[in-house]
Amino acid sequence: MNPFTAIWNFLYRSFHRLGSPREFYKISRYATPIFGVLFIGLSLVGAYQGLFLAPSDYQQGDSYRIIFVHVPSAWLSLFIYTVMAIAGAIGLIWRMKMAFVVAICSAPIGAAFTALALVTGSLWGKPIWGTWWVWDARLTSELILLFLYFGVMAVYYAFEERKTAEKAAALLSVVGVVIVPIIHYSVEWWSSLHQGATVFREGGPAMPPSMLTPLLMMALGFTFFYGYALFLRAQNMVLKNEQKSAWVRELILQHPGSRES
Amino acid sequence: MSTFVIFFLREWQLLFRNTSTLIQPLVFFIIIALLFPLSLPAENALLQRIGGSVIWVSAVLATLLSLESMFRSDYHDGTLEQWLIQGRSLPMAMLGKTLAHWTATGLLLTLFSPLLCLTFNIPTSEISVLLLGLLLGTPSLTLIGAIGAAITVTLHRGGVLIAIIILPLYIPIVIFGAGMLAQSTQGLEVASQLYALAAILTLSITLAPFAIAAALRATIN
Repeated sequence: MNPFTAIWNFLYRSFHRLGSPREFYKISRYATPIFGVLFIGLSLVGAYQGLFLAPSDYQQGDSYRIIFVHVPSAWLSLFIYTVMAIAGAIGLIWRMKMAFVVAICSAPIGAAFTALALVTGSLWGKPIWGTWWVWDARLTSELILLFLYFGVMAVYYAFEERKTAEKAAALLSVVGVVIVPIIHYSVEWWSSLHQGATVFREGGPAMPPSMLTPLLMMALGFTFFYGYALFLRAQNMVLKNEQKSAWVRELILQHPGSRES
Repeated sequence: MSTFVIFFLREWQLLFRNTSTLIQPLVFFIIIALLFPLSLPAENALLQRIGGSVIWVSAVLATLLSLESMFRSDYHDGTLEQWLIQGRSLPMAMLGKTLAHWTATGLLLTLFSPLLCLTFNIPTSEISVLLLGLLLGTPSLTLIGAIGAAITVTLHRGGVLIAIIILPLYIPIVIFGAGMLAQSTQGLEVASQLYALAAILTLSITLAPFAIAAALRATIN
């Protein structure tokens, strides 16, 4: 067998294994602590470098240092929405149970990161722009994103039957994905107070490595936190969804402190 | 006859036989718009400046109000289930139904908006700009709104939920539509906003029917 086929087969099988709630639960039990440790390690080192080692900005002084929280949260807010929409689409097209779980569990985490990006941005805006808030394209579209997350959550909890709720929420997340490119390009399409792309732009990042390294570490750390929180939420939801299946009963009975009821 | 025409005509017949559903959103639209001059200081300059935005917001609210009943009766008498199992293309059928619904709400509002413009003292030269914006914007409002209506059709109290999930998606349309008028009063070009509204309309006509059909299939078992 040629190596590509072997790799493909491996990926295909792991994808299918992840599609089964039981296998997902098993794998995520191992993955969760790894993600948690990576999150803590990366964000501690990143925060130390960013807050103590990186030089002050020549214009903004030390107040720019909120960038190490603000920018990763804003990236994550878009990244999580994209993951949610892709997972939702996979669930709708291939009827994969776990894809719905990933989509639904991502929504509150994404909403939290969006809120964090808005709050830190507002705190940053006060000393630098002289105002907490402006109705500028980037800020407004990020606020719309927060409401889209709320909409997906509201739809999921509005239905009594879980399968309908999953499908309806997934569909809404797919429809709302049009807003993601609008947010990303808002600083280019409209002249706005918010600064343009500084890291992912033509000609490389407009930032010295001493600032860029901690920023990327924080971003990676936040991504691992997303994975960590997602796995925890998904495990919980899998147990709840599959509470009538034999393996969950067994699992509960094995758990110390549980009793037959 | 093509699926589109059949569904368009059916919806039209239903709407025009029950004229109260036709008139309600229109009256709602006018009342909302007239609340603003009554609640604001009676300054002509102020009303003139905000008039376009008020009309846009009222149009959004009137469209939103009309959405809840869009699939309601079809769902309750079982017609909707028949559509799901029929041989005809569901997205095409939904496009016909939605556009017919638009002629009874969005188009009607658009045709009445010049009258409101006069009460706001908006100069006649700006009325055509507002009309064009509403004409391009309101079909998108109805098409996107129909997705929300389809998602919530089986819920007993879908009204507030429709607003929560649909209003965020309406914001870009309102920004371009109301922004167009603001630019025009300053004597600036409005082509970019017009193109943006046209692009949103193109996207909603081509994609929304599929989303509506998928939503109906997902929520009705």
